[in-house]
Parts: sequence; structure tokens; C-alpha cells
Amino acid sequence: MSLLELKNVSKIYGDLKALDNVSLHVDQGEWVAIMGPSGSGKSTMMNIIGCMDKPTQGEVLLDGVDISRESSKNLTDIRRDKIGLIFQQFHMVNYLTAVENVMVSQYYHSMPDEKEALEALERVGLRERARHLPSQLSGGEQQRVCVARALINHPELILADEPTGNLDEANENIVLDLFAQLHREGTTLIVVTHDPEVAEAAQRTIVLEHGKVAREVINENFGKGSLQ
Amino acid sequence: MTKRRMFFRMITASLLRRRSRMLIALLSIGIGATILAGLVTIYVDVPRQMGAQFRSYGANMLLLPRDDAVLDSDHLAEALKSIPPEELIGAAPYRYVRLDMTSRQQSFTAAGTDFSQVPKTSPYFSVEGTYPEKNREILVGKSIADTIGVKVGSTMELTYQPAASSEELTPEESRQPGADLSGSAEGFGGGMVYVSFRLDDRGAIASLEVDVSTQTPEYGGRTAEDEAFLSRFRGKTLPLAVGEDVDALSGATVTSEAIVTAINTARKTEAAVKPQTMTFTVTGILTTGGEEEGYVFLSLQDMQSLTGSPRLDVAELSVSAGADQLESYADTMTRGSDTVQARLVKRVTRSEASVLEKLTALVFLVTLVVLLLTMICVSTTMMAVVSERRREIGLRKALGASDRSIRQEFLGEGLFLGLLGGIMGAVLGFVFAQVVSVHVFGSPITFQPLLLPVTMIVSMAIAALSCLLPIKRAVAIDPAIVLKGE
Repeated sequence: MSLLELKNVSKIYGDLKALDNVSLHVDQGEWVAIMGPSGSGKSTMMNIIGCMDKPTQGEVLLDGVDISRESSKNLTDIRRDKIGLIFQQFHMVNYLTAVENVMVSQYYHSMPDEKEALEALERVGLRERARHLPSQLSGGEQQRVCVARALINHPELILADEPTGNLDEANENIVLDLFAQLHREGTTLIVVTHDPEVAEAAQRTIVLEHGKVAREVINENFGKGSLQ
Repeated sequence: MTKRRMFFRMITASLLRRRSRMLIALLSIGIGATILAGLVTIYVDVPRQMGAQFRSYGANMLLLPRDDAVLDSDHLAEALKSIPPEELIGAAPYRYVRLDMTSRQQSFTAAGTDFSQVPKTSPYFSVEGTYPEKNREILVGKSIADTIGVKVGSTMELTYQPAASSEELTPEESRQPGADLSGSAEGFGGGMVYVSFRLDDRGAIASLEVDVSTQTPEYGGRTAEDEAFLSRFRGKTLPLAVGEDVDALSGATVTSEAIVTAINTARKTEAAVKPQTMTFTVTGILTTGGEEEGYVFLSLQDMQSLTGSPRLDVAELSVSAGADQLESYADTMTRGSDTVQARLVKRVTRSEASVLEKLTALVFLVTLVVLLLTMICVSTTMMAVVSERRREIGLRKALGASDRSIRQEFLGEGLFLGLLGGIMGAVLGFVFAQVVSVHVFGSPITFQPLLLPVTMIVSMAIAALSCLLPIKRAVAIDPAIVLKGE
């Protein structure tokens, strides 16, 4: 069953076609990587899937709802309810502690629950660092807090934008391990990356070039690699 | 944890953990609130402060006896109860009479007063020497002193000559049982005939004496000795008619008729008041630049000893209150008494009111300008805060914050800053006002309990208003900025 479906989606900025008639679908529980060089339309696609932008043409179905024509207020609601976001720059509220950063996500979604937020931090191995401010955490730790924040509201879809782009290899592996766990629990993952290693951790890789889907690669070795 | 607790946790964390930036915003609100609170305190206190200053221009209220009533110190004390003691600067009673200085063939206006009150109601009085402190001491106006050449330490002998008839009763009003009456009328050849008699308790003539020394002894002059003639008057009630009540003495018709006329027009005899003389020691020479320089001032007790009367002509009051308040005091006093009427010295109260009006308008204007500047300053700071936190705002929106949430959070921070700034401003503002007051007016300020809540509310309102534009900016931030890695 498909969670996300793009039908002939185009995004046009003046003369520039950032996305050119792209169609793709992602099944419930699937782990998909989106690759491509810069300028290939990755960011535009991420914005559209993340309910932060609307396509010029085409339809985007998220969990059966066409999000391509929704008002920005409704898009905010959909994003909050269905999507967990992870960013390359981590983006934490720098004056809030790790656990408070997780709770911010709960706050906008429903109810802040410190206990649940601490459990989420435990899951990413940062229970002891819960009371630290972002400035007191390493990059890897910050990104793990962001993973905890993304999963705290049990989203249908976790959308990660270059999640390991600013991490060293050890931390990259930790984050990919977390993704694998989430995948096993049935969470749908879309990871935008230019790192082949990160892409290889996914079940399927969609390669974008010049705003079009250039090719799709099924990862034959999925589930057999060292990243479990 | 409730959403509200998380909300407060977020905004307090934002203020407490991002100290430097917020300190600037807090400082601008705090300084604005300080000046605001200070000016408002002065604004509220100015009438009081200036009121005290104005009182150096002299009395602003007069108490006068109403119509024919006699005003004395007791009435005055009673009337003064209508004015709160802390607002009553002074109340000087005055009784004016003419006193003669027989040795110099001069007479002066003398004012009996309470010397403890005069410097309070007439602070501009300048005395060379001292105010009298005891009875038999006197303050002499400069022009008198120059004319008769007295100095501090000189003595003066002053005499009070009572007026011939101070009681103005008609002959009819005089005819009360038991009264002593006297009268006069023109007799034979233009000479005056005098009578004096007493009425008994029924109002009839009891005894009669006549003075006919101006009449011809053989004719009219016989009336005084003729007992039979005089006895005709006894037991008769007034008015008398010749031929009915009494028959004229033969050969003295004109004198007899004059006696009847004198009896019919007789009035109550004044208790004889002898001229009173006292010797005073001059303790001071008074310079005022006004008519008071032609007066002598003595104590009320001396005045009463001289005149035999405790009556007062006027009391000058100096009251530290606004024109409306004065009006209401005057009204209360006039209505509450049938001896006293209170009047405002319009010349003084009006100029006070106009000076106050201008001063309060000025303070108000300055306050307004300060508020405006504060708003601009806070608004600019908050604008900088929004730019600085673009990324965070974008992140919050990406995490699902609605525009409303963003508004609430910024407004919350603004109000919290306003609250802190307001408390700071109220405290520092009071200190500021105190310093200004002591230096400008020379007296400390009274604490206004309303100052704290008012300053807090106003600075919160200012902070909230200042946040409007920055909030508009914040809401317009595109959440997608968090995705474009830099």
C-alpha cells in the first residue's frame, strides 16, 4: 500500500524546471533514499513531500490526501501530524535542553510529556545528556536528539535531509542504525542524501538528475549488510 | 506536563538562557518604565509639591462673619475642622480697630492676630527684629515706624476709644421690661431736654429723671422739681401722648412736650465703656511692600483686653489644595455654619491652577515622548531578535507550529519582558522621582501604591505593542529555510 505518491509533479521557477514531470511512489514501511547531484531537484522534492512547498503541476498524495492544493495552514497540520523531520544542520532550539527540544515537538503536536521525551532520548542513547544544552552536545549527539524529536510523535513518515552530512563515520553509523530500527518497527523512511553509503542502507534508491527521475536502484543487499 | 507549563518553560528559557540580547530589550523597557514611573509619580505629586510652593504667595481662602453675625475664635476653630490638618498650612485671625496714640495725636489701624500663624499665611512678611511672643508686645508697620520714629525696643502707649453708640436699636426695640433707657429732644428756645428712666418688668415707666438745665428756670425748669408732674409718668406704658397719658405742666408746655418726645424716642443706654489704654513694647518692624506697613499688630488677647470683645473681622487661611478642593472646603464651611462664610482668594487660586495646568501638561507630554521612544527602541530590539532567531522560528514552524503559536510565543516573551521591565521601572522610577523631587522641590515624594501595577501594566502594553511588527515578521518566515543547508 503506498503512503506517498507523486503523479507528474513539476515545480517551475520562471524558466527553471526544478522538478520536471516526476512520478514516484513510496510504500508504507518502505525505506527509500533519494540521491542526486546538487541542482537535481532533491531539495524541491523534499520541500514538497515535507508539506513546505506546493508543486506547480501534478498531484501529491500523502496517506491518501492530495497535499498539492492544500492551504499552508492545513499543510502545517498535516506536516505536524504525519511527518517527522531530520535536517543536515540538526537545528535545535539552542536555549532549550535536549529533552526540552524533544518536548517542543510534542508541544506543537499534542501534549508535552517529559517522561515520554526522556524515553525517546534513551532510545537514541542520550538519556544521560537530556539536561544538556545543544552547545554542550557533539554534532552526532545533536543529530540523535533530532532523531528522537522526529520519532516522538510516531509519524507515518520520517523525512531526513542529508542526516549524516555533518557527521563523522561513527556517528553516521549510529544514525543509520537508528533508521534501521525504525524501519523494522514499520516506520516509512525517506532519506535525501548524496552519500552512496547512506543510500545503500535503504531498500531502494531513487536517483534524480535535472529534475527528473534518472533511475531507480533496488538494494539487493538490503538487510544483509553490517548496518543492522 | 501541560501545554501552558511548557509554554512558560520555553519563554523563560528563551529569556534566561539568551541573556545578552534579552538584557538589551529588558534594559530598554526598564529604562522606559523607569522614566515613565518617575514622571507619573512626579505628575501625581506635582500639585501637592507645587501646592506647598504656592503657599508662599499667601492666603488663598478667607473666613468672614456672615451678615451681622459675630465671628470669634471658637467659630473659627469649628470651621477649620472641615479642612484636613495636613492640608492646612496656617489660619491667621484678624480683628481691626483704630487705636489712638494720644502722645502724638495720631491714630492707626491696629490688627489683633495670632502671631504663631502670621508667618504661615503671610510668608512674605519681612520683620526686622522678631514677631511678638508675649502680650504687650507689638509689631509696627514700616511706614508708621518711620513717621513716629519708633525702633525695636521702643514703647508705645495706645488707647482704644469706644464708639458712642455701637448698638443700633430702634426706640421700639429698646422698650424691653427692665431696660434702662435714655433720650433727648429739643425743648423751648432750642435747648435740649434729656431724660433717663427705667422700665419695670411689665414694661411701664418705673423711675424717671429729667435734665432740663437748658430751659428757663421759672418756666420749663420747674418740671425737674415738680414731683406731682413727674409722678404722672409712673406706671405709664410707652408711647405716651400729651393730654391723654400725661398733662403738660402749665406754663411749661413746650418743655413738657419735649420730655414726652424724649421718652418716646429713648433708646437703651450703653453700658459705659471707658477708653482703655495699654503700653506696648515694639519687638519688630514689618516690611511688606503693601498696606500692612501702615498697621500695628498686637496679640488677640491684648486686642480683647482693649476692646472688651473677642470678635474677629476675618481669618486668612493658607490651604495646600487644588482649586476644586478649595471650593469644596469653602462650600462645606459656609454651609455648616451660620456665623462663617468662606471665600477663595481667586487671584491666588486662579494663577495656581493655571501654572499647575501648564506643568502637568508638560510632564504629560514628556511622558508621551518617552513612551514613544521606548516603543521604538523595544520594537527595534525585538526586530533584531526575530532576525537572529529566523532559523529557530523556521524550525518551530517545520515542527508544526501554527502562526498562532509563533505569535503567542513572541507576545509571551514580550509581555514577560514588559513585566520584568515594569517592576524594575517602578522601583527605579520611584528612586528617580525621589531624587528629582528632593533636588527640584526640596521635599521627598510620597509613595503611590498604584505605581507598581500601573507601571507594570503600561510597560507590558508597550512591550506588546512593540512586538506587533516583529511578530508579523516572525510569522512570515518560511519553514523551508531549515532544509536548505548552509
